[in-house]
Amino acid sequence: MDLNFFLEVLIGGLLAGIMYSLVAIGFVLIYKASGVFNFAQGAMVFFAALTYVSLTERGWPFWLALAAVLALMIVLGFAIERVVLRPLVNQPQITLFMVTIGLAYFLEGVAQGVWGAQVHALEIGIQDKPFSVAGISVSQFDLFASGTAALLVLVLGVFFQKTKTGRALRAVADDHQAALSVGIQLRYVWAVVWAAAGFVALVAGLLWGARTGVQFALTFTALKALPVLILGGFESILGAIVGGLIIGATEKLAEVYIGSSIGLNIGTGIENWFPYMLALAFLLVRPEGLFGEKRIERI
Amino acid sequence: MDQSTFAARISFHDSIETMEVDFSRFAFADAAMVDAFYDHIDQRVAATGRRWYFLVLYEGCEIAPEAWERFAARGKHANISYGLGTVRVHPSERTRETIRSRAERETFRANIFDTRDQAMFALGEMRKRREIIGAGTADAYLRVQDIHLNFGGVKALTGVSFQVNRGEITSIIGPNGAGKTSMINVISGFYRPTRGRIFFDGADRTHLPAHKVARLGFARTFQNIALFKGMTTLDNIMAGRRFRHNLVTDALYLGPARREELRQRAEVERLIDFLEIQAIRKKPVGRLPYGLQKRVELARALAAQPKVLLLDEPMAGMNVEEKEDMARFVLDVNDQWGTTIVLIEHDMGVVMDISNHVVVLDHGAKIAEGTPAEVRADPVVIRAYLGVAH
Amino acid sequence: MFYRLAGQFKSSYAADQQIFPIRQDRIFVIGVMVCAFLVVPVVANDYWLGAILIPFLILGLAALGLNILTGYTGQLSLGTAGFMAVGAFAAFNFILRVPGMPFLLALFLAGVTAALIGVLFGLPSVRIKGFYLAVATLAAQFFIEWVLTKYGWFSNYNPSGVITAQAIEIAGYRFDTPVSKYLLTLGIVAALALAAKNMARTQTGRYWMAVRDMDLAAEVTGIDIVRTKLVAFAVSSFYCGVAGALWAYAYLGAVEPQAFTLDRSFQVLFMIIIGGVGTVLGAFLGAAFIVLLPIALNVAAHALFPGVSTDLTSNLELVLFGALIVFFLAVEPHGLARLWQIGKEKLRLWPFPH
Repeated sequence: MDLNFFLEVLIGGLLAGIMYSLVAIGFVLIYKASGVFNFAQGAMVFFAALTYVSLTERGWPFWLALAAVLALMIVLGFAIERVVLRPLVNQPQITLFMVTIGLAYFLEGVAQGVWGAQVHALEIGIQDKPFSVAGISVSQFDLFASGTAALLVLVLGVFFQKTKTGRALRAVADDHQAALSVGIQLRYVWAVVWAAAGFVALVAGLLWGARTGVQFALTFTALKALPVLILGGFESILGAIVGGLIIGATEKLAEVYIGSSIGLNIGTGIENWFPYMLALAFLLVRPEGLFGEKRIERI
Repeated sequence: MDQSTFAARISFHDSIETMEVDFSRFAFADAAMVDAFYDHIDQRVAATGRRWYFLVLYEGCEIAPEAWERFAARGKHANISYGLGTVRVHPSERTRETIRSRAERETFRANIFDTRDQAMFALGEMRKRREIIGAGTADAYLRVQDIHLNFGGVKALTGVSFQVNRGEITSIIGPNGAGKTSMINVISGFYRPTRGRIFFDGADRTHLPAHKVARLGFARTFQNIALFKGMTTLDNIMAGRRFRHNLVTDALYLGPARREELRQRAEVERLIDFLEIQAIRKKPVGRLPYGLQKRVELARALAAQPKVLLLDEPMAGMNVEEKEDMARFVLDVNDQWGTTIVLIEHDMGVVMDISNHVVVLDHGAKIAEGTPAEVRADPVVIRAYLGVAH
Repeated sequence: MFYRLAGQFKSSYAADQQIFPIRQDRIFVIGVMVCAFLVVPVVANDYWLGAILIPFLILGLAALGLNILTGYTGQLSLGTAGFMAVGAFAAFNFILRVPGMPFLLALFLAGVTAALIGVLFGLPSVRIKGFYLAVATLAAQFFIEWVLTKYGWFSNYNPSGVITAQAIEIAGYRFDTPVSKYLLTLGIVAALALAAKNMARTQTGRYWMAVRDMDLAAEVTGIDIVRTKLVAFAVSSFYCGVAGALWAYAYLGAVEPQAFTLDRSFQVLFMIIIGGVGTVLGAFLGAAFIVLLPIALNVAAHALFPGVSTDLTSNLELVLFGALIVFFLAVEPHGLARLWQIGKEKLRLWPFPH
């Protein structure tokens, strides 16, 4: 076995995994604060990316487009909280999950209806040039993405620990009633969370779009965030990173090594289901994920 | 009215556990007279320290309308406190009617007979039924031995042992957090004890999972009502029955499935009549008031015809009348089917009135065990409830 | 006025437990059946039969299958399309490789195959609940898709991946016209719907609902929840498998994996959300809604804005579906079936206000 090749695949997988983590972080934010599993996170990524790219294609300068999309995502976040979630406050988790599925379809339809359904290329100035580190080929772009992800985690970490809103968010995530009783405005916090998730979606959208082009399939790639969360735990940002790394690495390795060992001319495709099978195995063994909290049901 | 008048009208037949009360040709002119007579009865029974069947003679007995309420209330209280069952002999037409209509409303059996002989025969039948079930196992029916239950670092139960005799009502009492619900959860197989054994009818069944325990003959109700909220009362109770069915016959419906459904329906309707919930049988249980939900839950537990019934605070959140009704139902179940009952309850009055046996837990350990009277007088128990600084 | 129940007293349990205890309901259902079997084939044209009614029936069947799993038993599944695919490919292979295989038997075996796969992927439900289970079913969906596409044996090594379905032949009679296919589909779907309704109102259905409502209490009541869940998976997958086979044989005329992607799973899920979870009627109301809506939309869009692109209308579909899902879940979580029930109750009093 060629060690270099193995390492290349591994590192490529790890870095690709970071991209999944970016999407997963958005999930974690919302789940932490409101217990809602936002299936529409992928659609939000797509929506953000598509809007940005359509604006720049129409000649908007990049910083203006960025600001506009950011504002739009924040407004979208507030709107979702107000229109979709508030009427459903006491419904069971399954219902809220299904609502976000509807929301996902809605956003996709709007985005494509407004901007068109073609594939767009997204340029953010970083070339996808490979360069060599100790004899292993690594993509410059992937490194940039990892750096961005690390920065994002840092920013979020500071936000949660040091700012008042961040602390309020953690209180809400812990116990809604208790948070209410100390005067924290739940609705405000939720709206902030959705806006933050929108911001994360924008970052993820830009990176993903630059990597693979902005297209409808983006929403399905976002589904991969689900196994990431199962591995990492739904409530942990660190878990989202670690989970992403593991999923990225294992799916690439599986693609390459299992595919060739089976011998059939299979080619791509294993990575479509491998992360989900891995997640399934995890659910049977450690359902709360590596960094999640154990839930005990009492009667 | 002096006491000797009353005394002459009461006699105890020890061999058949029956107290004969002669109301014949007695006139209850007002509530005060009812009280006087019943006070005397209460005293006489308290002196015996046990429960009795009642044989009540009504021939020529006159109860004035203004005395009726009190008469009915005292009678009910007597039944709950120290009764095993009642038979009534030859009341007048009007009295008969009044008793019958009350019986329907409040669910007790009127048991009215024309002659003393008929009443004695019925009494014999009642006792026989009870004896068959309560008869001679010197072995405890249900025995828990040295039960320890740990959750991580929390010790919910430490070394609890006690036994429950067949056909009796045993209450588990104790301050909040004493481990009573944990004990019931262990008995019903929902928790596995960290250490210790459980014996049922002589056999060790410590490691059985919950649904197998249920199949052995255990049924329970829950502190926080665990009904199937999306289904009707009728469906909830039917779900508690053991059907002979399989997927294919159910899909076809006509034939074996239909016959089984109708057969089970008839049985369940009997239970519905017993617990007086006919009016709500088609209502989704999620919409019912709390008290009725508890009754439906009891019906579902009874549907499985359990040998042992575990009731976790069946009277929580009820007012006085609802509590009396529930107490009567519990007693009727015990009386009519000889079901062994284990009861967690906070209302001391109820516990003392209906239990044969009481176990007291505090902080996960057993601190006392015995008859209600013994436990009530035990200084350790009193201290646990009133709380001495730990 | 039309729906007065006065005078309809049940004097036996048997009468009370009929499948349609209210006389007006009985009349209505019989009327619908007569219409469906006798009137429609004569009156409807080929387009309506082949492009609207047949897919409506088949998707209704799939929705029924999903409803059994998700609506009655509370196990959320996103793998519906995967089980449909199993059914389609199984039917194809049975007919292909077993000489003289009767069509109906192939259909039945396809369902059984799907049921077995369903039980396999249902095993995790013993330990996993809620939307974690949904992720497990996603694994099923993607894995099945991959296996059926990548292993050429399933599609008889057909290079294009699109396999023409064989003709349907039962007892020497060929079902190749829209009318005959419609009647065949109608018969099969009606029979399976009746079976579903029967299962729902007997102890099988009660055990499913008990597991949905509170599985801990169900366990303590003596119900074997593992068995109940696996039976639900089996029955649900059977229905989806038969639906998949019918989709290939009675509708498309071809067996292709693209017909059974994740989008299809979501489509069926939307049907039961809009139609109403946990009811047989809801599955079909939802299916009708989802089948007819794009057509209505297309017609309306072209009437109002002639020359509008199909791209736009298909995006409009997504928007509308998404909005409707949100709307239904917020306003009437029990879907159209509940609205139907409310309508019937209002009809009881009409024209009086109360």
